[in-house]
Amino acid sequence: MIQGKEDKISLLLVDDHPMVQGGLLACFSYYDDIEVLGVSNDGETALAKAIELKPDVILMDVSMPSMNGIDATEIITEQLPDTKVLIFSMHDSAEFVRSAIQAGASGYVLKDTSSEEVYYAIKAVAKGNTHFSSSIAKTLIENPAKLENDKLTTREQVILSLVAQGLSSKEIARELNISFRTVDAHRRNIKSKLNIDCLVDLVRYAINHGLIEE
Amino acid sequence: MTIPLRMLYISVIQVILTAVITYYLVTNQYRELSENNVQTLETFLISQKEQELKNYTAIALSSVEHMHGLNSESNQQVVEEMFKNMLYNDEDGYFFIYDDQAVAIVHPKQPDRVGKSWWDLEDDNGDKTIQILLQRAHEGGGFYRYNWLKPSENDKELKLSYSVYSDKWKWMLGTGVYLDDVYEQLGHLQKEINNHLNNTKQIILIVALSSIFFIFLFGFAVNLNHKKRAEEKISQLGQRVIDVQEEENRHIARELHDGIIQILVSIKYSLEATSMFISKNKQEKPAPLIQAEESLKVAIQEVRRISHHMHPQILDELGLSDAIESIASDFSKRTNVKVKVIKPVLRKLLPDFINTTLFRVVQESLTNIQKHANARNILIEISINNTWLTMMIKDDGIGFDVEETNNNNGIGLRNLVERVEHHLGTLDVESSDVGTVLTVKIPTASFVNHFNDANIKAK
Repeated sequence: MIQGKEDKISLLLVDDHPMVQGGLLACFSYYDDIEVLGVSNDGETALAKAIELKPDVILMDVSMPSMNGIDATEIITEQLPDTKVLIFSMHDSAEFVRSAIQAGASGYVLKDTSSEEVYYAIKAVAKGNTHFSSSIAKTLIENPAKLENDKLTTREQVILSLVAQGLSSKEIARELNISFRTVDAHRRNIKSKLNIDCLVDLVRYAINHGLIEE
Repeated sequence: MTIPLRMLYISVIQVILTAVITYYLVTNQYRELSENNVQTLETFLISQKEQELKNYTAIALSSVEHMHGLNSESNQQVVEEMFKNMLYNDEDGYFFIYDDQAVAIVHPKQPDRVGKSWWDLEDDNGDKTIQILLQRAHEGGGFYRYNWLKPSENDKELKLSYSVYSDKWKWMLGTGVYLDDVYEQLGHLQKEINNHLNNTKQIILIVALSSIFFIFLFGFAVNLNHKKRAEEKISQLGQRVIDVQEEENRHIARELHDGIIQILVSIKYSLEATSMFISKNKQEKPAPLIQAEESLKVAIQEVRRISHHMHPQILDELGLSDAIESIASDFSKRTNVKVKVIKPVLRKLLPDFINTTLFRVVQESLTNIQKHANARNILIEISINNTWLTMMIKDDGIGFDVEETNNNNGIGLRNLVERVEHHLGTLDVESSDVGTVLTVKIPTASFVNHFNDANIKAK
C-alpha cells in the first residue's frame, strides 16, 4: 500500500542520542527501500516534525527529554492516523510495551536487536502489521494481558483534568489543538474506563484522586 | 540551649550549701536571741518573786512585832493560830518561824516540826538549811534557795525563801515560793523555741529540696526539648541525605542509560554497518568482529542492569503503578511467589520524591518477604480516596515481631518510616503468624495537582 507512491518507506528517526542516530543511519544506508526524512531529539520536536513530514513510519525512542516517546506516540497516532509508530527502546519490561501499545504503537523493538531486525520491523509496521522483538513477545506472553484498558493514557488523563476544571469539549479541542470529535471520543473512553456517566461524578473523581484541587 | 549535667550538679551543690549556711546562721542567731530572752524572763520572774517575798515577810514581821509585849505566853499561841491561816498560792505559800536554837515555833504545813530543834537539819548537799536561814535573817534579811517539801505535791522542790529576824521575839520569820512553776514556765518557752527552730529547719529543708527538684526538672525539660529538636534536625538532615542520594542515583542511572548505553548502542550499529559493508564486498565476517558484537551486547546488558538497580527509569517514565507491576513480575519470576497488584486507574499523580519513597518501600518489603516471610502470596494495593493515598502490602507469610525489629536491626524499616513521615504520611506494620500487612498513607494534599503541573501547565 505504501509502495504505491515511491516504493520507498519514509522514516522519521526520533532518538535523543546523535551517535545512535548516526549508527542507525549508517545501517539504513545499505537498504534501498528506506528513506530517512529526518531526525529529531525529543518528543516535542518529533511531534512538529511528524506533522510537517508525515512519514510512513516513525522509529521512536522512549526516554527523552521534554516528552517521552510513549506520550508523543499517543498524540501522533491521534493526529496522523496513517503514520505508524515503531518503538525503539532499551526498556524491555512489559509495562513499557503495554503502555506503548495503548498509546497506539504498531511495534516495539529493543535497541539491542540487530539492525536487520529493525529493518524488517519497519517494513512490517509500514504494511500495517505489528512487530515485536522476540524477547518482548516472550515478556508479553509471560505477563498475560490484563486488559490495558484498566488505566487512562496520559492524553486521557490530561483531558479528564481539563474537563474537571470546567472546560467544555470545544475549549479543550482548542487548548490541545485537536478536533472536537477527538475530544469527544476521549471523553467517551474516559467515562467507560472509569465507569462514570455524569460530569459531576467525573469532577468528584478527579478531586478525590488529587488530580486537581478542590 | 542545652544544660550539661555538671552545671546541674553545681547548682544543686550551691542550693545545698546555701540551705546549710542559712540554717546554721538563722538557728544560731535565733537560739542566742531566745536564750537571752529566757534569761531575762527568768531574772524578771525571780525578782518579781523576791519582791513579793520581801513584801510578805515585811507585812508578817510588822504584824508579829505588833503583838509582842502583851502576854508573851498567850501571844505566842495567837501568833501560831494567826499563821496557821495566813496562807497564799494555793496553800503552798506559808510562813515559818524558828527561834535562835532552830526550834520551830510556827509551821502551818508541817505541825509535827513545831517544838523541836532543826539545828542540824541538812539537805542533800550537806548544807544546814535552818542555820543558813537564821544567818540570812541575822544579816538583816536574805534570800536562800533550797529543796523543801512542797505541800500541794507532797514532794521536795526547789524553794526560794526570804527570812528576817525579829529582835523583839528573837525569832527568825520567813516565807518562800517554790520555783518549779517558774522553771516549768521557762521550760515551756524553751520547748516552744525548739519547736520553732525545728519548723525553720523543716522549711529550709523543704525549700532546698524543692529547689533541687525544680533544678532537675528544669534541666531535664530543657535537655529533653533540646534532644527532641536535635533529633528532628537529624531526621531532616537524614531525609536530605536520602533525597540527595536518590537524586544522585537517578542522575547516574540516567547518565548510564541515556549516555553510556546509547554510545554502546551506536557502536553496535557501527559494527553492524561495518559487517554489512564487508558482506557487500563478498568477504566473510571476521571472527574478532563477531566477538566484539557479542561482548558489546553483554556490556549493554550489564550497564542496563546497573542503571536499573540504581534507579528504575520506569518510575519516571510511566509512574509508580507500572514500576511496581514491573518489580512485582520480576520478583514472581525469581521467587515463584505470586504477587497481585491492584492500582488506581489514574497514574503519574505523584511527584518524583514520593514515587521514589513508595517504590523503595515496595522494594524493601519484597526483599524482607523473600528473606524472612516464607510467603506464597503477596497483594500490593494502591488506592486513593478523598484525603489519603493508601498503599498496602500484604503477605501470607509467617510474620515477625514488629517491636523487636523496631528495637534491634530495623534500620531499613525505621528509615522507611522516616522517609514516609517526611511526606507527612504514616507507615504501619502489623504482623502475626498468618502474615504481615504494611500500610503506607500519604495525604492527597502532598501531591494534589502534580499531574497538571507536569503535563498541562508546562505547555
